[in-house]
Amino acid sequence: MVVGQEVIRFLFLRVASGALVIVFASALTFFFINLAPGGPASVMRFDVTAEQREALIKKMGLDKPVTQRYVEWATGAVRGDLGTSLLTDEPVTQRIGERLPNTLTLAGAAFLLSISLGIPIGLIQALRRGSPLDHVLSFFSAIGLAVPVFWLGIVLILIFSVSLRVLPSAGVTGIATDTFFDRLQHLVLPAVVLASTVLPTIVRFMRSAAIEVLHEDYIRTAASKGLAPRVVVSRHVLRNALIPVVSALGALVPRLLGGAVVTEAVFSWPGLGRLALEAAQGRDYPLITSLTVVAAAVAVGTTLLVDLAYTRIDPRVRVA
Amino acid sequence: MKLSLSSFLVRTTSVMIVAALAVSACTSTTTPPGASTAPSAAAAGPVSGGTVTIPIGADPTLNPWSPNAFVESLFINRAIFDGLTKPGKDLAPAPDLAESWTVAPDGLSWTFKLRSGVKWSDGKPFTSDDVAFTFNDIVLKPDLGAQNRASYAAVKSVTVVDPTTVRFDLSRKFAALASFLAYNAGIMPKHVLSANPLTTTTFNKGIPVSTGPFKVEKYTSGQSVSLVPNENYFGAKPFLDKVVFTVVADPNTQVAQALSGDLQIMILDNKAAVDRMKSAAGLVVVARPLVQYYWLSLNQTDSRFTDVRVRQAFVQAIDRQAIIKSVELGYGSIANSPITPALAAYYDPSLASKYPYDPAKATELLKAAGWTPGANGVLQKDGKPFQFTMDVGQRGVLEPVNALIQQDLKKVGVIVDLNTMEWNSYIQKDVVRREYTATVNWWTYPSDPDVFPYYHSSAAGKGFNIPGYQDPKLDDLLVQGQSAGDLEARKAVYKQLQQYTSEVLPYLFLWYPQEIDVLSSSLKGVPELGLRDAMHYIGEWWLAKK
Repeated sequence: MVVGQEVIRFLFLRVASGALVIVFASALTFFFINLAPGGPASVMRFDVTAEQREALIKKMGLDKPVTQRYVEWATGAVRGDLGTSLLTDEPVTQRIGERLPNTLTLAGAAFLLSISLGIPIGLIQALRRGSPLDHVLSFFSAIGLAVPVFWLGIVLILIFSVSLRVLPSAGVTGIATDTFFDRLQHLVLPAVVLASTVLPTIVRFMRSAAIEVLHEDYIRTAASKGLAPRVVVSRHVLRNALIPVVSALGALVPRLLGGAVVTEAVFSWPGLGRLALEAAQGRDYPLITSLTVVAAAVAVGTTLLVDLAYTRIDPRVRVA
Repeated sequence: MKLSLSSFLVRTTSVMIVAALAVSACTSTTTPPGASTAPSAAAAGPVSGGTVTIPIGADPTLNPWSPNAFVESLFINRAIFDGLTKPGKDLAPAPDLAESWTVAPDGLSWTFKLRSGVKWSDGKPFTSDDVAFTFNDIVLKPDLGAQNRASYAAVKSVTVVDPTTVRFDLSRKFAALASFLAYNAGIMPKHVLSANPLTTTTFNKGIPVSTGPFKVEKYTSGQSVSLVPNENYFGAKPFLDKVVFTVVADPNTQVAQALSGDLQIMILDNKAAVDRMKSAAGLVVVARPLVQYYWLSLNQTDSRFTDVRVRQAFVQAIDRQAIIKSVELGYGSIANSPITPALAAYYDPSLASKYPYDPAKATELLKAAGWTPGANGVLQKDGKPFQFTMDVGQRGVLEPVNALIQQDLKKVGVIVDLNTMEWNSYIQKDVVRREYTATVNWWTYPSDPDVFPYYHSSAAGKGFNIPGYQDPKLDDLLVQGQSAGDLEARKAVYKQLQQYTSEVLPYLFLWYPQEIDVLSSSLKGVPELGLRDAMHYIGEWWLAKK
């Protein structure tokens, strides 16, 4: 790939449009969450009098108009100050900073697990199309799509933590045992459960893409040229079938973040998903808006990465 | 109808958990019942050492006066902070930071004698200045909006008499003061919080300075808060080496963790799992009384509900025993007044059987109030059907309870539409704006029969008087209860109050719930109180050696 002016132009345009998406997402979230009924959890509690409510609303500055509050938040955000969490009085950047690594670890592990399993499984199914193995794997894919994440989570906890007692049921580390191996053990169940939200999709994409490629003329040509089947599959089938799969991966990342909300709740995983749930239920306006910005940035970033990956995989796409 | 994610999860999961538990029941290796508890160990007496792990639903706020200190914060705050008093094991106020107290003959000032030689966990001395600071500069400051501030409406100011004596000056008599001071009223360190009493995050979300038997060792957001013994504690050294509160948001995960031995004590929110817990080896299941009651509030701005016969009819049309059986699995008893059986000194058991389930009697009362069946069986008056909406907040058992009430009222010809709402929005509509016709909820209150804030006419509309019921006779009883000097006089007033409220039904009383606590069989020394109250005695807990 040649890195030239064209690439820089392309990147600049993509980054600029991405930034626009993020600004739009933050404004939309801020106004909608403020329009939603209810208010910050400290105000919306049963045992608070009208007098206390008034004092708290004033203290949090919620008596100011929404537009003014958004402008104040956005001006701060540009300078890297995402405001103060209404639920804890801590800086929002600190709250997100504490949780972001945990979600990246979980989502990253689930993502790696999904592609390292999904691509070979899909490929095998395509190569053994119609065989009993294909049917069995398709059956499991269908089940994987149908089973709710929280239920799968609880069932795995009951089997592996309660009955067999081989894996911990919650948290990122044990209380007294914060080692790498301990963290890895804690990661297994949540990563498997989160992977189950995207793995079946990857398998299905890979299977149908590979089947399509197998019918292409160049595959027949390659085979009839006398290339070893192993080479045909790895060099031609896999590479060409990956093109649609990679574009699907871009769309799966947001789904992974969504799945993280539920997975994190079941496994008490201290990540952004649980933080987002708390922020939404407690109407922590600056926090929920900032989390949306982070999620939007991740989505924009992955789309950009997918586009760049395209140029590497697809022989037809060259930016320059 | 709106659906919030978390309550959707809880509801759906509690249905599916039964299936999941069945799966695990087949695979788990449980020791036979009988081998689970070892009564001989109890006779051996307390031993030191060990770690107790307790689940909490979310990150706590380590400051009982912060408006962001929600229910999950109560556990730790009661273990690390001391009040002037604490709930005794009979729930009557007992000495804590105050050794004794006296009330002036006019009842308008209380003098508390403080324990001497008490130190904060950072080694600084605790004095009467800290008490005055907590009240004058936190609770009584209107612009801070401190939690529980409404409980101290009668307190004018707190005066330092000498380093170990403080005086509370009141604007009216307030017999329950010592009980209220035992309820989430921890004394805060002036030398740490004077600049910023409620929002110092290194304190609230870090390592607070406290006086209790345990102090915070480490606060890990989203994961856990660990406590170790406070070497400066004035009382006996606690037996446990460590107490860890783990943040486990999902009640089903809490159940799984208790089954796998990761937790030593917890409140079982998901009562459907009680049988599984009972059959598990190494776990003990106990029922504890609570100072809590469920009610149905009928908005008194709606003229249909101002007729006492209608309210009495509803209470008899609702099969409350069936509700207790189905949603609480029997852990509770019928309520006919706001004073719960947990307040044994005041509770009047004779009222328990006052309104048996009796739809025929209900129909008769409704008829007397002018409601007669129309063509389709629906009651009518002046050509209008008896139909209204009940708002349902998505929390705990409220959804199934409302569905049962809807069915019961339909049987006597009253049509109820249920409007299910996400909790936060529900509070805004029903509590803040009071834009509702009928709704079910509960009250939890300090261990004292002074229920003034929930019933007095001055609290209608904007205070805690949710139905907006106003009645000079009830007001008079509430004030008498606050003014009565000694226990016997208070008992007499509150007996009358129970009698009267059961007659006029300001709220329709539903039931007194019990808490189900699950304990590791090796955990000893926990008093027979609800777990939140038992936290005041955490210094006495101990773990039997296995």
